[in-house]
Amino acid sequence: MKLVASALLTVAVLLVPAVSGPFLQYLVLNMLLLALLALSFNLLFGMTGLLSFGQGAFYAGGAYAAALSLRAGFSLIPSILLGSVFAAALAALIGAFCVRHTRIYFSMLTLAFGMLVYAVVWKWTDVTGGDDGLIGIPRGAFFEKPERYYLLSAVLVLVSIAVLHRLSASPLGLSLRAIRENAERAEFSGVAVRRTIFIAFVTAGFFAGLSGALLAPLEQTISPSAAHWTKSAEPVMATLIGGPFLFAGPLVGAVVYLGLKEIIVRFTEYWLLVFGLVLLGMVLSFRGGLLGAAADLWGRRTRA
Amino acid sequence: MLFQGLVGLSEAMYLWLVAAGLSLIFGVLRVLNFAHGSLYMLGAYFAWVAFRITGSFWAALLIGPLLVAAVGWGMEYGFLRRVYRVEVAFQLLLTFAFVLIFDDLVKLAFGPVYQSPPTPAALSGAVRIGRSILPTYHLFILAVGAAVGLGLWIFLEKTGFGLIIRATAADREMARALGVRSSRLFTWVFVLGAWLAGLGGALSMPVRAISPGMGEFIIIEAFVVVVLGGLGSLRGAFVGALLIGLLHAYGLVFMPVFELALAYIAMAAVLIVRPWGLFGAREA
Amino acid sequence: MAPRRGISRRNFLQSSLALAGASALGAPDALGAPDLKLKKPIKVGCQCILSGPLGGYGEFMRKGATLAMEEINAAGGIGGSPIELNFRDEELKPDVGVKNARYFVQDWGADFLIGIDSSGVALAVGEIMPTLNRVLIVTHGATEKYNEDLVYKKHIRQCFRVCVPVYQDGIASALVAKDLPVKRWATISPDYEYGHTSWKMFRAYLKQNKPDVEFVGESFAKFGTVDFSSHISKVMALNPEGIFSTEWGGEAVTMIKQAKLFKVFEQTKAFMIGMGSAMDVLQGLGPDYPDGVWASGRYYFGYPDTPENKRFNDSFKKRWDTYPSYPSETSYTALNALKKAVEKARTLDTDKVIEALEGLELSRPAGPCVIRKEDHQAVYAVPWGQITHDKKYPMPTLTNLKIFKTEEYYRKPPFAPVEG
Repeated sequence: MKLVASALLTVAVLLVPAVSGPFLQYLVLNMLLLALLALSFNLLFGMTGLLSFGQGAFYAGGAYAAALSLRAGFSLIPSILLGSVFAAALAALIGAFCVRHTRIYFSMLTLAFGMLVYAVVWKWTDVTGGDDGLIGIPRGAFFEKPERYYLLSAVLVLVSIAVLHRLSASPLGLSLRAIRENAERAEFSGVAVRRTIFIAFVTAGFFAGLSGALLAPLEQTISPSAAHWTKSAEPVMATLIGGPFLFAGPLVGAVVYLGLKEIIVRFTEYWLLVFGLVLLGMVLSFRGGLLGAAADLWGRRTRA
Repeated sequence: MLFQGLVGLSEAMYLWLVAAGLSLIFGVLRVLNFAHGSLYMLGAYFAWVAFRITGSFWAALLIGPLLVAAVGWGMEYGFLRRVYRVEVAFQLLLTFAFVLIFDDLVKLAFGPVYQSPPTPAALSGAVRIGRSILPTYHLFILAVGAAVGLGLWIFLEKTGFGLIIRATAADREMARALGVRSSRLFTWVFVLGAWLAGLGGALSMPVRAISPGMGEFIIIEAFVVVVLGGLGSLRGAFVGALLIGLLHAYGLVFMPVFELALAYIAMAAVLIVRPWGLFGAREA
Repeated sequence: MAPRRGISRRNFLQSSLALAGASALGAPDALGAPDLKLKKPIKVGCQCILSGPLGGYGEFMRKGATLAMEEINAAGGIGGSPIELNFRDEELKPDVGVKNARYFVQDWGADFLIGIDSSGVALAVGEIMPTLNRVLIVTHGATEKYNEDLVYKKHIRQCFRVCVPVYQDGIASALVAKDLPVKRWATISPDYEYGHTSWKMFRAYLKQNKPDVEFVGESFAKFGTVDFSSHISKVMALNPEGIFSTEWGGEAVTMIKQAKLFKVFEQTKAFMIGMGSAMDVLQGLGPDYPDGVWASGRYYFGYPDTPENKRFNDSFKKRWDTYPSYPSETSYTALNALKKAVEKARTLDTDKVIEALEGLELSRPAGPCVIRKEDHQAVYAVPWGQITHDKKYPMPTLTNLKIFKTEEYYRKPPFAPVEG
């Protein structure tokens, strides 16, 4: 069943350029990038309950590093890789301070570091272009064609999703879940709690950075809003909409979140109101997120 | 230079009023209310409407926050209490939905134009302090902030209801075992918290432009204050607000480059040294 | 209908010019437009800020664009084809702006793009215009990088702008300031590109004109500042004689109210605020706006005193029951410029319309205007003036208008770096 679903998803995603117009293709790529960001966020949140409110920092870190590398003349794929690695390094630096903290204090500390990154990006004009951001990010002659860039990004996102899925079933994932159930017991049974969280944090940073590194060449521009807390809130929202307890929840949530917004803004200027009401309805009626509720309905709530 | 600090403290008073409600609600309900900044915004709008009808700033100051308290009642009674048993993050999402809804409702009802009634004549003067001039309104705000602080302290320490709140904040199960009817308590605490935010908004009405979305600029700072002070601790919220106010005022003078980040640097520094905030309980 | 006091001879000359050059821009054409057999309808995508604390700006822009559309369509449309407008919220976020532009062109089928409030969004969207290959007319975002870098240096030909850039805030202000009895200036301005650039230009151009001025202090406030008290006390501690500011929108309202509480207007000789004559600030402050504050904008409803401007004001008030703010005029002009260019080019082809727009002369409500070929920037004069309270109007207005020749303050190719 799962295999069929993932095969279908892969085929559907790769077929998009063949069957859709340029805007839909662009929108789907945006959904994929948000899905990757949300999945990276949920690596920690879904399994340990630690809610990072600073994922934007790594997203922006990856985006800016990739953008600077591209502008310096390096080619696309190494730049994207560099962006992700830079984001992972940033996550290691920030994670070292955050792993001791629990619950809301963890969220707030990640928020603080996220906003710190935002402030640095905003003020360090010589390197980051300040509040105007970096514009005119080249992606090389070959990938100038949107379809090619789409396929490259889609493949990278799909591979990342597969890796994240493997991780959740790996010893790391098991340790993380043990921590969620009871951190002290996990510690006693030999799980190095902080180290495990740290590894997950850095991994999440890497994939958030990859999402950002893929965004910068897509938009050909990057600005500090990528690091702002409102950006960090997007993966949180996507995850909660889709459901944090199933692996595919954030994926579904990202599609619903962006799709819904896209539909609402076409009909009304008051999209905040409509979106807020939909959100309210969802929280009140689907307690485990959309996918969680669907799984409950079918009565096979197998934790991914 | 002392004067700069005084100005910073007066700015901190609005933040204190919002943070006090936020902290109180978290202490008892264990809900981090994202919409608290929106309640501050509603306080400003309701006070403005009351001002337009009555023509009196003082009547507006009385009516505005009471209307926000009523909205708070609706939020808790109609929605929040349905999700107390759900994952904390979903509660946060629910209150976030209210941020979006309130922003657009205000725009629908009052239009997107800035509103700002004149400062009341009795408070639009200024006093000279050394070579500097401090507006009477700022003195008034300092006095109100201090009075609310004192009032809350007396309420929590000296009244029976205050005791129940403190007991519930300290140990929810124990309080319930002792017969505290938590659902009613939750409602009233949320109403009180909303009233405080509304008061902050009403006080800001004559000196800050009122516009949709104005709550977004204060809510994150209020979070910072509450967490820095220690979640659920009113003393922490008070000290935290003053600290952020002073940091901001002096930061502008000595380290203007860091203005954007000062509050976050302060919070990160405190949390790294004391992971549960200045006055917070260890396990929160 | 404009406050006439203090209008200079230059103003009078320009008004006459406007009259002479008036080609009844936007006015219903009695003969109706010729049918060019173009695509029907002609779709124009407009993005502006419609949510949050600055949502009022987008509202004013929408009203101006809608009015232009209704007038043009009533007179037979563009070359016989009616205009269809679509609005989207740019949220002041470059990524949202890019997405909107892509949606407009690639999904909705827009023939032209107009709007944009934020400078950052203008640069980001401008950058992808070669890919989308549509004409973009910016109506608010004011960064000089848009015309100087994007168009002039990088040759992105699809980008145009019909609102005066930051030259109004940074350079024309210096021309006003040189005649003021102020030697010690300080600023309270936004902590982003716009605030820093305009302060830098102001210093450089004022120093050129008046070498003995001093710049004694600056306080830059982050976007979303809700209280300016500590900025005010910081700057006032330095004893400035004049305050220069480029705060705008709700932040300008808050800052001026609080400066008034701190008795700044009694302690200083001059107070200048670049976006202070925007309708939202005039209406937001109302009776609280101190007399004598120097203010400007990208258009001021009371200038120039031409039939063209009077007609625009009248129909705007009739349609929306409010006075127009500057984004209303600029978006109104953007659509009328498109009409003129398309009818000149007799096609919707982007290259041909670009050629038609280059060097196009317009007689817009704000006065006579030419779209410069080199950087696609509309050149027209906007006054600085002093706030006054005239009983004839429901909000504060400007008096003692200062109008400068555009060649005195519009930077020109090759755009040498600003010294200072």
